[in-house]
Amino acid sequence: MDLLQSFSVIQLANALALSSLLTILASGLALIFGLRDVMNFAHGALYMLGAYLGFAVAARFNFWVALAVVPFLLAGLGVVFEYAVLRPLQKRAHMDVALITFGIALILGHVVNTTWGTSPLSVAMPPALSGAVDLFGQPYPAYRLFLILVGFGTCALLAAWLKWTKSGMHVRAVSQLPMVARMMGVNTDRLSLFVVCLGTGFSGLAGVLAGPYLSVDPSMGANILISCLIVVVVGGLGSIGGAIAASVVYGFIQVIGSIVSPLMSVMTPYLLLFFVLLWRPQGFGKGRVA
Amino acid sequence: MMKTTPLFSALGFSKIFLSVVILIIVLSGLAIPSLIKSTFYLGLFINAITLGIAALSIGFLAHQCGLIIFGAAGFTGGATYLFGIAVMYFNWDVTSAAVFCLASSTLISLLMGMVMVRARPLPFAMMTLALAQMLHSVVKLTAYREVTGADDGLTLNWSGNFFGMTQAELARPANFWTVAWLALCGVMLLAWWVGQSRAGEILRATKANEERMRFSGFNTYVPRVLAFGLAGFIAAVSGLLVGLHSAFASPELLDFTTGANSLVSMLIGGATVVTGPILGALLYTMGQDQFGASGHLELLTGVGVVIVVVAFPKGAIGFVQSGIKRLTGRHHASN
Repeated sequence: MDLLQSFSVIQLANALALSSLLTILASGLALIFGLRDVMNFAHGALYMLGAYLGFAVAARFNFWVALAVVPFLLAGLGVVFEYAVLRPLQKRAHMDVALITFGIALILGHVVNTTWGTSPLSVAMPPALSGAVDLFGQPYPAYRLFLILVGFGTCALLAAWLKWTKSGMHVRAVSQLPMVARMMGVNTDRLSLFVVCLGTGFSGLAGVLAGPYLSVDPSMGANILISCLIVVVVGGLGSIGGAIAASVVYGFIQVIGSIVSPLMSVMTPYLLLFFVLLWRPQGFGKGRVA
Repeated sequence: MMKTTPLFSALGFSKIFLSVVILIIVLSGLAIPSLIKSTFYLGLFINAITLGIAALSIGFLAHQCGLIIFGAAGFTGGATYLFGIAVMYFNWDVTSAAVFCLASSTLISLLMGMVMVRARPLPFAMMTLALAQMLHSVVKLTAYREVTGADDGLTLNWSGNFFGMTQAELARPANFWTVAWLALCGVMLLAWWVGQSRAGEILRATKANEERMRFSGFNTYVPRVLAFGLAGFIAAVSGLLVGLHSAFASPELLDFTTGANSLVSMLIGGATVVTGPILGALLYTMGQDQFGASGHLELLTGVGVVIVVVAFPKGAIGFVQSGIKRLTGRHHASN
């Protein structure tokens, strides 16, 4: 009986709200990894920067302006990231580039700390979404529903782009066999510029969306980065579909496990990561992208 | 040090002479508390030592196996917690708790090494990071408050003497210096000795090309497991020192940033010689003292990491080495 109660609609929706944030972030991380072969340890810091920029813009204008503007600001940062870091260091070992993104994460953390301070901030919910909606007979915060819709909507759009457009096909081709794709006339540099911008823009979007849902604080980046790494690795490195599925599973383990058994909810994601990295390095997803 | 050995022998120094030099350095280091009267600076150097030993653990594995531990906090902080649990939960005296801490940490590292060293560098780094984060989440669980103290951490009280020192005496920097300095010298010599031994040569040759080594009939697996175990042991020494000196085990010890500090120290100092990570830790601790309050430390370390990885893969110690080489006018084949 106890167990059944914990699987209420509300809990399911909470799990989905967490997963939707993770999907946005993880798909960006997976895209960059697929195309550039770079494990971006700065992804969490970019998300944090997005949340703080969202806070600043929302305070001056309103939440909707922030939601529209911040992803483009972060995408602009993606251009710098691509030209200043990823392109010059293409030939370096994976580990070197990973360490450099880690250094960038420290720098971004400093920028955020000196600009906004270290104490947690909260972003007000937009008035239109601050109420509750009726979800199968129970009241549920409208904002979380909005979060779920935006999160999975964005990922559905991304998956559709990858599957049905020509440029999406090129992305899939490059992430599978970059050499062959280049020989067939795909401009990998232009494509990776676009994909890196998309990935960083997505982290900005996730940051703004997280503002009213979670608190905005300096440790949010490192915390979600590890969840993201788990999701991307478990879903299969570079696989968008796998990342989406893995983040849904992850969200459920976190929210429902914390009611059933706290130890289980804490350990399972990490054990999954170990299992995948050691015995199934290709992850549970199928291909490399989409 | 690994590279200064051929330098010494090339200059005509014998092994005995080298041992005497090392002995003099170790013994004169013991006199440092009588030279530095300031408790503050002595405490700073002790912090540099614990950080340096953790950095040495990462640097050893990075140089010998090419594997980088991202979550060093899991190994150092985990050892502090093992020590804390032994004295608080099992009520053991300090010496048995210390032995238990080192032995069990090493054993756990060996067991983990058996599965983890098979992974490629990037998955390996992620696994160590996940391990630290997992421990961090587990010790914070309220269900185990009795054992780990949850969010509050463990305040440690123990009975018995450690090397003839009570808990109150160990908390004083001037007394604790002896323990910290000897531990530092011990792990540095150990890491250096393994590095220049045949096992070290096999490890580095495996790092360069594993397939070639396997093809030539070498076992490439067991040496790497042992190296991982040794790295775990060195990290546990650092964690034990923290536990002995501060008498406190907090979840912060397992934080992502704690592991990042030692990783940064290792990168900045350089890992090709055992003195590199220690130098890096000293630089980092001094930087923390200078810039920690103003909040510029993160910026400096971030920029430092980027510059070092891009331009100076051998770190600060690489500078010192090339300086020495230029002075002596000798060029050696690098190992």
